[in-house]
Amino acid sequence: MSTLTIPVAPPRLAVGDTMPATTIGPLTRTDIVRYAGAGGDLNPIHHDEPMAQAAGFPSVFAMGMLPAGVLGQRVARWVGPENLRTFGVRFTGQVWPGDELTFSGAVAAVENGVARLELLVQSSTGGAVLRGWATTSIEVGP
Amino acid sequence: MIDPALAGRPLDRVRFPLDRSKLAELARALHDPDPVWHDPEAATAAGFARVPLPPTATVLADHWRDGGALAPALAIGADLGRLLHGEAEWEFVAPVGVGDELVADARVAAIEQREGRRGGTMTLATLETEFRNGAGEVVVRRRDTLIETSV
Repeated sequence: MSTLTIPVAPPRLAVGDTMPATTIGPLTRTDIVRYAGAGGDLNPIHHDEPMAQAAGFPSVFAMGMLPAGVLGQRVARWVGPENLRTFGVRFTGQVWPGDELTFSGAVAAVENGVARLELLVQSSTGGAVLRGWATTSIEVGP
Repeated sequence: MIDPALAGRPLDRVRFPLDRSKLAELARALHDPDPVWHDPEAATAAGFARVPLPPTATVLADHWRDGGALAPALAIGADLGRLLHGEAEWEFVAPVGVGDELVADARVAAIEQREGRRGGTMTLATLETEFRNGAGEVVVRRRDTLIETSV
C-alpha cells in the first residue's frame, strides 16, 4: 500500500471511476484498543468485555470512528489528502472482533472542478456498516 | 437524557497540537503504515510541501478534553447506554499540517426529538466544532449527529 503514489495535485477523475477496493481484518481486540489509545475514545463498551456483555452485547465492538478513519485514509490515498473538501460518514451497523472490512468507493458526479464520491464499508458478517461521501477538487481541462 | 434546553449552547474549547507522535500512532491505528503521515522526509519525497493530515486527524482534540471523546455526550446529558453515533462530517476549509496548533470550539447546534420506532422519544443532537489555526482562521469544521434511542 505504501508504495502507491498519493496524489498531491487535484487528480483527474470521471464519473464511474472507482477507488481500489481494499480489505482489513479479521479485526482483533488489539486493533480496537490501538484505536482507542490513538483516538482518545476510552468508552469501556469498546474494550471491557465483561462490561459489554453486562450491557447485553455478545462482546466488545469497534467504535464507528475506527472504520470511518480507515475509510478516510483510503479516500485520502485515492484523491490526495489536500484535495479533499468534505468527508462524511453515516454509521449503519456494528463492527465486531473477527470481522473483515472491505472499503470501496466510486465517483458519483463531477461538476465545476469538484467530484462527489460515494463510499462504502462492508463487513464480512453484517453487510454495510458505514456509508460515506466526500467531495474532492479535481483537475480541470482538456 | 439529552436536555433539549441546551440547543445553541457552547460546549467547550480545546487547544491541541498536531504532533508527529500522535499522528504516527493514529495512522498506524487506521491501518496505514505509510511514513508520509508523520515523517517530513517521506512527505517531501512524496511531493508534499509538508506532512499532510489524515481526514479524521481532528479526533486528536479528544486527548486534550477532560473526559476524552465521551465528554461532549456527557455534557449534554446523554444516557450512554442508549447513545449511538449517527453521523460525522468534516469540511476542510483551509490547509493545515503537522506542527500546527489548533483551537477547537464545540457547540450544540440543534436538538430534535422524534417519535421512536417502538414508541417513546428519540433525541437527535447535532454538535458542531470549529477548528482554528494560530492566525484565528477556521481550517476545519466538524459536525456530529448523536442519537439517543427511546427508553
